[in-house]
Amino acid sequence: MSSAAKKGRLNFDPRTKLILLVIANIVAFTQQSIWVEIAWVVSLLILIAVCGCGKSACKLAVAFSICLLLQYYIVPVMPQVLATTFLILATYARKIFPCLIIGTLLVQKTSVREMTAALRKWHVPQGLIIPLSVTIRYFPAIKEEIGYIRDAMKFRDIHGIQKLECLVVPIMMSATATAEELSAAAVTRGIENPNKKTSIVTMRFGVHDVLCLAFGIIFCVVAFIIV
Amino acid sequence: MVIKLNNVSFQYENQPETLSGIDLEIAPGECVLLCGESGCGKTTITKLINGLIPHFVEGGVLSGTTAIDNINIAETEIYRLAQYVGSVFQNPKSQFFNIDADSELAFGLENAGVDPAMIRERLEQTIKALHIESLMGRNIFSMSGGEKQTLAFASVYAMNPDIFVLDEPTANLDADAIELLRQQIIKAKSEGRTVVIAEHRLYFLVDLIDRAIYIENGKISKIFSANELWQLSESERISMGLRSLKKSELLIPTVGSSTDTPDLTVENLSCAFDKKEIFHSLTFSVRSGEVLGIVGHNGAGKTTLTRCLCGLHKEKSGIIRLDEKVLKPKQRQKSCFCVMQDVNHQLFSDSVYNECLLSSPNRTEEEIDKVLQAFDLLPFKERHPMALSGGQKQRLAVATAVLSEKKVLIFDEPTSGLDYRRMLEVSGVINQLKAHGKIIIVVSHDFEFLNQICDKVYYIDK
Repeated sequence: MSSAAKKGRLNFDPRTKLILLVIANIVAFTQQSIWVEIAWVVSLLILIAVCGCGKSACKLAVAFSICLLLQYYIVPVMPQVLATTFLILATYARKIFPCLIIGTLLVQKTSVREMTAALRKWHVPQGLIIPLSVTIRYFPAIKEEIGYIRDAMKFRDIHGIQKLECLVVPIMMSATATAEELSAAAVTRGIENPNKKTSIVTMRFGVHDVLCLAFGIIFCVVAFIIV
Repeated sequence: MVIKLNNVSFQYENQPETLSGIDLEIAPGECVLLCGESGCGKTTITKLINGLIPHFVEGGVLSGTTAIDNINIAETEIYRLAQYVGSVFQNPKSQFFNIDADSELAFGLENAGVDPAMIRERLEQTIKALHIESLMGRNIFSMSGGEKQTLAFASVYAMNPDIFVLDEPTANLDADAIELLRQQIIKAKSEGRTVVIAEHRLYFLVDLIDRAIYIENGKISKIFSANELWQLSESERISMGLRSLKKSELLIPTVGSSTDTPDLTVENLSCAFDKKEIFHSLTFSVRSGEVLGIVGHNGAGKTTLTRCLCGLHKEKSGIIRLDEKVLKPKQRQKSCFCVMQDVNHQLFSDSVYNECLLSSPNRTEEEIDKVLQAFDLLPFKERHPMALSGGQKQRLAVATAVLSEKKVLIFDEPTSGLDYRRMLEVSGVINQLKAHGKIIIVVSHDFEFLNQICDKVYYIDK
């Protein structure tokens, strides 16, 4: 059971989140109307807030508002040259918000196990699932490593661009070692077993999953028709 | 199940023979210790039993046979062996496939395709048997090294193997975590499982093992009964390069909260994380040429204290003074150097010489050579730092600190996972720094080591 479900918060099936990600993209890149976009972003923000990502939802909301402010109040009073650059930047940054929002939900509220179970249900081949789940497993590990390495640099008076250069050697070293040790541990626990794997995560589309996807699709279609 | 090694020799790719002619039989339910100096071949034996050799380690040359009951390891896939042999490894950071405890615990059984209802039942048994309720539902990145190792053992236990193979499981653990592991081994043993454990730390195994296999240069040099091993004299065990057989007591005077005639003083230091206080009002001092040991239980704030002293963490209140000058965090970063537990994080360059030049570009080659000579690194001047041994890397980090004239050197668990001889080497380095008049602070739970080097010890606890 994931921690979200334990606390009685709404938790969607990982498949819902993945489909929602696709819908989010379609809406974002087919719509020109700013009102549709705002409505879409707001609904998604509410969705992830309900799922327990309240903090991130607030941050994203603030960032989105800044983009809007920039575009509608600040850019018009800017000198022409700057204005063009900023307009492009603000517009495109805004476009990726729906993906960012669903991405946040995926990263924060989906365990590696739920994700692999979902992909298995879709019959994604094992050869793709394992590297994918290792990659997800790897991000927080690398973040931790980089923290240590940056600390170490502070004692050595390493500054500016040199910092980036100095990250490479220790990161590579630890990545190689970790990859080796991680696979040894996985192999001794039978990851290569060709049997059909089981999962104790029960994967079922609930009413909320259906409602959520229905809303997404209806939003998508309605927005298409009226605008 | 009986484990049988029959005249086994093994050689890693491009290396001299690691094991030669090993004959060993381990009875069902036996608890066997593999001991000997680093590199003697004890880890290799564990890999023979869990099948990593020959299935995972590539390019090695193996002769002889290893079998459990009638199953020839070399001819059986690892995932089949996984049913019978469970492995716990040295590094708690890198033996998890999942990010949360619950998934990890179920991982082995899910791989084997066990029915979900049975998995749930088995997990419940495991949680109860090993008392790991507090770990469930947690993210592994929020766990201490000890908690991770406990989880690693539990995830293997959940698979219900007949044989447990543990490869230096305590290398990164403190005394409390070691005691937990000890209880887990006792549990496994009481259920009639075979336990094979390769270890440097011996004291916690005193009353657990049935036999100790002493390995020297890839050969079984002696087999002790538990009794024989524990009756070894101090000089015998030291000549064998083994760590203490008894739990070491700290023999160094602990210091109270005085700050007389010191060079580094810490006054009423408090640190907090997100408003949660980690420790409150610590006061102590260290003189030049003095070694202060810092000990304390897990969670008492040793790591935070280290980070605060060397300027990586801002204090909540209190004063840190060096030579009577109050230092802010940024200034502390300039005058302090921390030798980290994983020294790989602090070597950045492509050769030993360039590593030295990196943080002290104004030093002449002669000066650098002199320091390298002092730390036995001169022959490796052109070598890539990552091609050095663990001890050499540690000395190189120290050399860079000496070259940039750091006054305060802080060592974070410098002896984790080291055998007796390598521990002595670290003591040597610290004594040398002492002679240079450095202020040295050592955070460690290795009492045997602290007894050798410290002038005084500061005990932090809540």
